Amino acid sequence: MSFLHSFRTLVSSLFHRSKVEREMEEELRAHIEDRAADLERTGVSKTEAERRARIEFGGYQRFKEECREVSGTHFLEALLQDLRFGMRMLGKSPGFTAAAIMTLALGIGANTAIFSYVDAWLIKPLPYPQAEKLMVFLAHDRKKGWTNNSVTSTADFLEFQHLNTSFAETAAWAGWNFNLTGDGPPAFVEGGRVSWNYFETLGASPILGRTFTAEEDKPGGDHVAVLGQGLWQSRFAGDPGIVGRTIKIDDETYTVVGVMPGTFQFPLMGIANLWTPMALSDKETADRNSSWFSAFGRLKPGITQRKAAAESEAIFARLEKEYPQTNTNVTSEVRSMIEEIGKNEGTTQVMICFWIVALILLIACANVANLMLVRATRRVKEFAVRRALGATKGRLARQVLCESLLLFFFGGVAGALFGAWGMKWIQSAIPDRVRGYLVNYGEVNLDFTTLGFTLGIALLCGLVFGLAPAFEGSRADLNAPLKESSGQASESGRGARLRRIFVGAEIALAVVVLICTTLLVRSFLISVRSSPGFNPANVMVAQLQLPKTRYRQEETMRNFTEQVLERIRALPQVVSAGAASSVPFGGFGQVALIAAVGKTVPKAEERRAARFTVVSADYFSTMQIGLIRGRGFTSEDAPGSSPSAIINQTLARQLWPNEDPIGQKIQYGEQHNIATIVGIVTDIKMFQLRARPERQMYVSLTQFPSPTLGFVARTADHSTEMATAIRDEIWAVDRDQPVSAVEPLHTLIMVTDAGNLVLTELMVFFGVIATLLGAIGIYGVMAHQVQQRTHEIGIRVALGASPVQIVRMVLGQGMKLAGIGVVVGIAAALGAARSLASLLYSVTPNDPLTFTSVALLFGLVAAAAGYLPARRAMRVDPVVALRHE
Amino acid sequence: MDNQAQILPGTLDLLILKAVSLGPLHGYGVLLRIEQISRGALLVEQGALYPALYRLVRQGLLKAKWGVSDNNRRAKFYELTAGGRKRLREEEDGWNRLAAAIGSALKARPEEV
Repeated sequence: MSFLHSFRTLVSSLFHRSKVEREMEEELRAHIEDRAADLERTGVSKTEAERRARIEFGGYQRFKEECREVSGTHFLEALLQDLRFGMRMLGKSPGFTAAAIMTLALGIGANTAIFSYVDAWLIKPLPYPQAEKLMVFLAHDRKKGWTNNSVTSTADFLEFQHLNTSFAETAAWAGWNFNLTGDGPPAFVEGGRVSWNYFETLGASPILGRTFTAEEDKPGGDHVAVLGQGLWQSRFAGDPGIVGRTIKIDDETYTVVGVMPGTFQFPLMGIANLWTPMALSDKETADRNSSWFSAFGRLKPGITQRKAAAESEAIFARLEKEYPQTNTNVTSEVRSMIEEIGKNEGTTQVMICFWIVALILLIACANVANLMLVRATRRVKEFAVRRALGATKGRLARQVLCESLLLFFFGGVAGALFGAWGMKWIQSAIPDRVRGYLVNYGEVNLDFTTLGFTLGIALLCGLVFGLAPAFEGSRADLNAPLKESSGQASESGRGARLRRIFVGAEIALAVVVLICTTLLVRSFLISVRSSPGFNPANVMVAQLQLPKTRYRQEETMRNFTEQVLERIRALPQVVSAGAASSVPFGGFGQVALIAAVGKTVPKAEERRAARFTVVSADYFSTMQIGLIRGRGFTSEDAPGSSPSAIINQTLARQLWPNEDPIGQKIQYGEQHNIATIVGIVTDIKMFQLRARPERQMYVSLTQFPSPTLGFVARTADHSTEMATAIRDEIWAVDRDQPVSAVEPLHTLIMVTDAGNLVLTELMVFFGVIATLLGAIGIYGVMAHQVQQRTHEIGIRVALGASPVQIVRMVLGQGMKLAGIGVVVGIAAALGAARSLASLLYSVTPNDPLTFTSVALLFGLVAAAAGYLPARRAMRVDPVVALRHE
Repeated sequence: MDNQAQILPGTLDLLILKAVSLGPLHGYGVLLRIEQISRGALLVEQGALYPALYRLVRQGLLKAKWGVSDNNRRAKFYELTAGGRKRLREEEDGWNRLAAAIGSALKARPEEV
């Protein structure tokens, strides 16, 4: 309250300044007039009386100033004066001002950009009411250690839903692709199958119609759909009568019951524009082995995450006892939805960027503080004069502090602009497909929180880093500098030491930043240069899903696949073409439990899974996946003949460590199919460039036609015409078959690796800034030192020092400083880099190559930055230098 | 003018408080009152009166009010606040003690030492 009160007084005295001033004037004038009138009464002439009255009064302006000072508004007045003066001083040295503001803009701007993401993704709540109450359920196997973002099994989930008392609602969801036909060209629409209460649990409501009812979430009543606003507008022209209209999904008729607003989002699912009920079948609800969906719940009021987790643990412990066959070691974790989404958004990456930009800001601030210190030394004379004229030490310190604050304020403003640009750049670097998994679709704005943060850190740094120069400036000795005839004011020992400490710290920080960024960049380069196991260059990919309604028979699926392959192969630009049930980086894949036939069958929980792909005969050659042994699929593997399988090296090594797998039999899948191994191929990466090798097995598409298909074509060019041509060939076979975007395989890889690419680009940028600022710091200190020591160097030269000796002396000092900085920096980096471990690939956090090269680089940078001042020192003409005196 | 004395540093505030305690005054009035009650013996530097008045207002010892003076002009009148009255008493006591001490010191004779 008292703060508010004094603030009000301050404001009112500021605004009523003119009134106070007027009244003061009136009062003093009245005094003089009264006095003159009294004197006149004693017989003096009017003019003489007035003159005497004024003389008796004394220094009118001085007393007025004193009145102002004691009446308290003086401080603000002086502050304004200081600010005005500061502006003038900054304007007088545009070079210094520009350099400082640009340095700060880089440092502050980088912080603004990164902070905006920290704020948008880590601080701001999810766009749902009481989002902190939303919890996701993750299946966890205690023994094998894996955690899966789906429920443990359908039956488990339903039982949990029934038994728990912690959650007001629990809802289930699964991402789903739909084929939309009728109303225009067939379209491949991303969406989800959701339990009826999915929208309500999130707290979202439709803009048109309604969401699902419990009745509709049962087989038979489930042919209803909710549209996303985007789809409603693009495909149905925003038809206001859409509710009640029927649409064709996967060739079946669905009735639209509602439209969700464009702002509705569920980052765990990604972009979604169409939802249908899950309508679990009786067979599914009884399934204790597996599930195909994920689930989340909304905590009841007053229930904490910990309480809910404890209850969930108890329920799953009971299930474990009841169903040891399926539930041994299986439990379900209760995790905050916000944190789970944060994982998709790269919380770790964002936080690492945040720390790195904080270090860069420190470097930038140290640089600017150094510039200000140099300026303070250069201004010693000015300060001495002002002290002689009556300025107090405090006033001088305040003045320097004001200049610093002004500088940092402008730096902050420039930084906000630069940061806003940086934000937009980061945003544009995130592919649309990835954005669906980000809160608010990755949209980040320069809002008040971010702006407040920017100006806050700018002013805070201005205050902290302005203190040293302010202190130095206020120590101005009244006499010394004025006595010096040359104007070569000497710096106080402490000022010089402070500057060296600043630069040493700056170099150490720059080393830490550069080592961290280099480690991340190296990881990226290694991962993109490493072979994914296939050759992605010049391969086009088209993905689709055959609807069950029209492709119930294996024969129809086989015919479709073969006809499409034939037509694509016939295209003039196409070198070869193949098909697979799932393609690398297509975002989709299947897994099958496997076992080597003839070996002791492991216990259920020890059965191994492998990535399972059905491929056409030309798939391996088109993708250029290397065949190590045996053969690929051929016409031998025809429908009806005994199934063949091809496995990758990792699977071969793990299942038949000391035997030849060719000719062995492998059991796979729920039907316990058995296939004979005919070949071994190289490992390939399916989802992530940084993935570890996994077991992979392939069977023939001719023997096992697949409803999910990815066509790959090795082509001479990958223009959009090529993409259209491939799509048209598919439509030539089935004109109602929607196809995903036909894209180069390279693009698919880029999309999945976009996060790493953005991080890497940022790291390159941060590394360059840190090095640059470090170099500027060393240069500044050494240039200033040479200038300060011109006289001394002159004497040395006059006494016979050779140019080499002079250079060695000057450079030696800089190198010593750099050396200390590098050593400290490396020690700090050894600790800091450990927190990067999870983001590194094929590089250890204490990678010797990185550490040595950064150390060497900084040696070179220090030498280069010291070279110019050293050369200047070498050229000091003793006659000129001494005459300087 | 020889019989006039410069006021001791630090005593201006006391004099102002005393002058104002006898009735609200405007600035020039304070000056006249001091001259009057000191029988013209104390000389106040006129301009210096105002910083002192402003300071006393700021310290809450005086309060200022705009009113009309004898010659029908708008003028700022100062009067004592409760705090001012209290301070005046303290200062008076202090001064009296000091004056008595100095007085007795100056009256000292050699045989008393």
